[in-house]
Amino acid sequence: MLNYILNRIKSSIVVLFVVSIITFVVLMIIPGDPAQLILGTEATPDVVQELHSAMGLDKPLYVQYGNWLISFLKLDMGTSYLYGESVTTLILNCLPVTLSIALYSMIIATIISFIFGIISAIKKNSFIDYFSRSIMQLGTAIPSFWIGMVFVVFFGLKLKWFPISGYVPASESFLGFIKSITMPSVVLAIGEFGLLLRIVRSSMQESISQDYMDMAKVKGLSMRKIYLKYALRGAMVAPLTIIGMQFAKLVGGTTVVETVFALPGLGRLVLTAVEHRDIVLLQGLVMFITASVILITFIVDILIMFMNPRIKTFERGE
Amino acid sequence: MKKIVSIIMALVMLLSLSACSDGSTDNEQTTNPTEKTELTMGYQTDPEGLDPQRTAAASTFSITNNIYDTLVGVTSDWEITPRLAKSWKVSEDGMEITFALRDDVYFHNGRQFNASDVEFTFNRLKDAESPKAGDYENIIKIETIDDYNIKFSTEKLDVELLKWFAYPWTAIVPEEAVDNLKTEPVGTGAFTLKEWVPQQRIILQRNDNYYGEKAKLETVKLMLIPDATSMMAGLQVGDLDIIPLSGDQVTMIEGNAEYSVVSQPMNAVQIMSLNTNNEILANEKVRQAMAMAINKDEVIEASSFGYGDKIGSHLPSTSPDYYDTNDVMEYNVEKAKQLLKEAGYENGFEIKMALPKNYQIHVDAGQVIADQLSKIGITVNVELVEWGTWLSEVYGAKNFETTVVGHTGRLDSYAFLKRYKSTSEDYISLKTGEVDLLLEHALQELDNNKRKEIYQEIQIILANKLPAIYIQAPHTMFGMSSNVEGMSIYPIDVYDFKDVYFK
Repeated sequence: MLNYILNRIKSSIVVLFVVSIITFVVLMIIPGDPAQLILGTEATPDVVQELHSAMGLDKPLYVQYGNWLISFLKLDMGTSYLYGESVTTLILNCLPVTLSIALYSMIIATIISFIFGIISAIKKNSFIDYFSRSIMQLGTAIPSFWIGMVFVVFFGLKLKWFPISGYVPASESFLGFIKSITMPSVVLAIGEFGLLLRIVRSSMQESISQDYMDMAKVKGLSMRKIYLKYALRGAMVAPLTIIGMQFAKLVGGTTVVETVFALPGLGRLVLTAVEHRDIVLLQGLVMFITASVILITFIVDILIMFMNPRIKTFERGE
Repeated sequence: MKKIVSIIMALVMLLSLSACSDGSTDNEQTTNPTEKTELTMGYQTDPEGLDPQRTAAASTFSITNNIYDTLVGVTSDWEITPRLAKSWKVSEDGMEITFALRDDVYFHNGRQFNASDVEFTFNRLKDAESPKAGDYENIIKIETIDDYNIKFSTEKLDVELLKWFAYPWTAIVPEEAVDNLKTEPVGTGAFTLKEWVPQQRIILQRNDNYYGEKAKLETVKLMLIPDATSMMAGLQVGDLDIIPLSGDQVTMIEGNAEYSVVSQPMNAVQIMSLNTNNEILANEKVRQAMAMAINKDEVIEASSFGYGDKIGSHLPSTSPDYYDTNDVMEYNVEKAKQLLKEAGYENGFEIKMALPKNYQIHVDAGQVIADQLSKIGITVNVELVEWGTWLSEVYGAKNFETTVVGHTGRLDSYAFLKRYKSTSEDYISLKTGEVDLLLEHALQELDNNKRKEIYQEIQIILANKLPAIYIQAPHTMFGMSSNVEGMSIYPIDVYDFKDVYFK
C-alpha cells in the first residue's frame, strides 16, 4: 500500500513538471504580449519594447521558466502582474466558490442519477426508464449557458426565488450561501447527470443479470435487499470512477456557469489569466488544477478498492 | 436506504427553506430611500490593479479616479477645472507651467500632501515601468519651488500642456505607499478602498477627511458581473442601482419610469482600419470605393442599435475640434462601383478582416460591413481573433488587411491624431505624409481658432485619404434606477461617484 502511494506521488510529480512546461511553452507560442496588452491601442512600438524589457519578458525562455520553477519549488507561486496579488491568495479566494458548486452539483447529479438509474435498470422499458432515457439526452444536449440564462430570468427575475448573480460566502450567511450557489449547481448538475445516469443504469443492469442474483432470489432474500445490498454494490465501480472524473472536471473551473452567474471561481480566473497572458497566475492555476485532479482520482481509486476488495489496484503498482 | 432518504429529505428541506425566505433584510433599506447612501453598481471587467502609474486600463482608471486626485480635473463639457491645484500659470513662451497647490489636502494614511508628492509622482510616471512614460517625454524638468508650488518645463512647445495633467494616470500617489498600490491604494480622493476581491467586488468608502465637498454616498459597492443578461436582470430586481449599458439593452428599460438612461457620445471612434501596405488597399480609389459602399447608418443600427454618431474622420462629435466630414465620402454604391472600376478591380477582390472577438460592437459592425462590401464585389473573409492576438498581430506586427476596432480619444486632438504621422510606425499611419506638417503646426499654434482650422484641415485630409474608414462615435450609456442622480459621463474613461446621490 505504502509503495503504491509512493509510486503514485512519484508519477504525479512527473506529470506536474511536464504540465508546467507545456503551459509555459504554449503561452509563449500563442501570439499576444503582456506588455502590449497592458498598453492597449494607444502605444507606440518603442514604448511596448521598453515595457517588455522592464517586465523581464525579453530574458531567454529557459531563464524565465527556471526562475518560476525555482520559486515554485520554494512553494512560492509568485505574484500576478495583473492583480498585484500573490497567486496563492487569488486561488484560495476562488477555491471555496468552485469547490462548493462542484460538490453541490455532484451531490444533485449523483442523487438523481442513482434514483433514476436504479429504477430504470430494474424496471426496464417502464415509463420511468423511458423518462430517464429522455432526460438523459436533454441534459447532455442543452448548452449550460442557455439553461443558466433561462434560470436567471425565470427563477431570479420572475419568481425571485434565488439571487440573480454573485456569491455569498458561507461565513457571511449560510442561507445566502446556499441560495447563491443553488442555481449554478443545478445548471451544472443538469450537464453532468446524463452521463452518470447512463453509467448507473448499465452497471446496474449488468449487475442484476449476474448469476448470483438468481441465487439470492432463490435464497428468498427480500428484493430490496437484493438490489440495494448486492446488485448496487457490484455496480458501484464504474459510476464512482465517473463521479470522480466529473468532480475533478468541475473543480478545474466551470467558466461558462461562473460567467452567467457572476461567480468568482477558478474557471473565470483561468480565463482572465489567459486573456491577459498573466503567465505566473496561469502557471499557478494549472499546477493547482492538475494537482487537484491527481488527488481526486487517487482518492477515487482508494475508495473503489475499499468497496470492491477484489480490485487491488495497488498491487499492480508494486 | 433510510439514510439516503433522510439525506434527500434534508436537502429538499434546505432548498425549499432557502427558496421561501426572501431576503427581508435587503428590503428594509430600500423602503426608506431618502436615507439610502449605499450605491451598488455592476461592472464587467476587473481593474488591472489599482496603481494609476502601472497600467493603461480604463477598468483601472474608472475606479482609481475616485480614490486618487489629479492636479486638474475635466468636466463633462471638456472644461479643465482645479482639483489638487488651486490655480496654474503658463509662462509667456508656453514652455513652462506652474501650479499652486492646495495646502489642506491629506492622504488616506493621514500624511499631508505637498509639492514633493507631485514631483515624485511625475518622476514615477516617466520611469521605465510606466506604460504612459512615452507621453510625458516632453516634460524635461520638474522643480518644486516651495511646499505648495511646482513648475514643469517642456522641451518643445505644446499649447495643450495643461490637459496632460488631467488624465487619470497622473493621479498623485504618496511615496511611502507605492510598493503595494496595486492592491492597497492610498490617495487623496473622495473615497477610500475598503475592499477589493478580484473577480467579485470592489467596495469604496467615503473619505470623511476629503478636502472638497464630501461625497454624498457613504459606500459604493461595485459588483463584477461579466454577463450582460445577468447584469440587466440585476438592475430589474433592484440588486443594482447603476449598470453600464449596450445599445441592444437600452430598449429593455427605455420609457419605463422605474429606470433612467444616461447616454452621451463617447470620446472614442470606431474605425475600419485598412493596411495601406497591402497591394490592393494601397490604391486610394479602392479605399474610397469601400468607404462609399458602407452604409454607416445601417452599421450603427446593427452594432449599437442606433446609439452612435456617424463620423467621417478620426475625431468624435463631442470633441471641441470636431468638424463634420460626413459628406466627403457619402454612401453611394453606384459611385463606389465606378471607382472600383477605375482602380482596375471591376470584378472585385478578396480581402481578410480580423475582428476582435472580445468586443461585440466591433464584431457586429464588421459583419455588417462585410455584407455591404459584397454588393460591390468585394469578398470579405471575416476572422475572429482574441484580443491579445489582435494587439500583437494586427496592431503590433501590422500583419492584417482590414479590421474594425475602437480608439479611445484624448483631451487634446494632437495626442489623438499623432498616430497619422508618416513617421509614427503606427498600423494606420498616413504614409504619404500629408498631415505631418499640419500636426506639428497644430501643436505649436497658440491661437485657438487657427488651431481649430488646422484640425479641420487634417480631418478633411483623413476623410479623403482614408487610412481607415471612419464609422461612428459610439455612445457610453448607463442604465439607472430612477432615484439615482448625479452620474455623469466624462471625455476620459472615468467614473465619478462624488456627486452621485439618491433622490
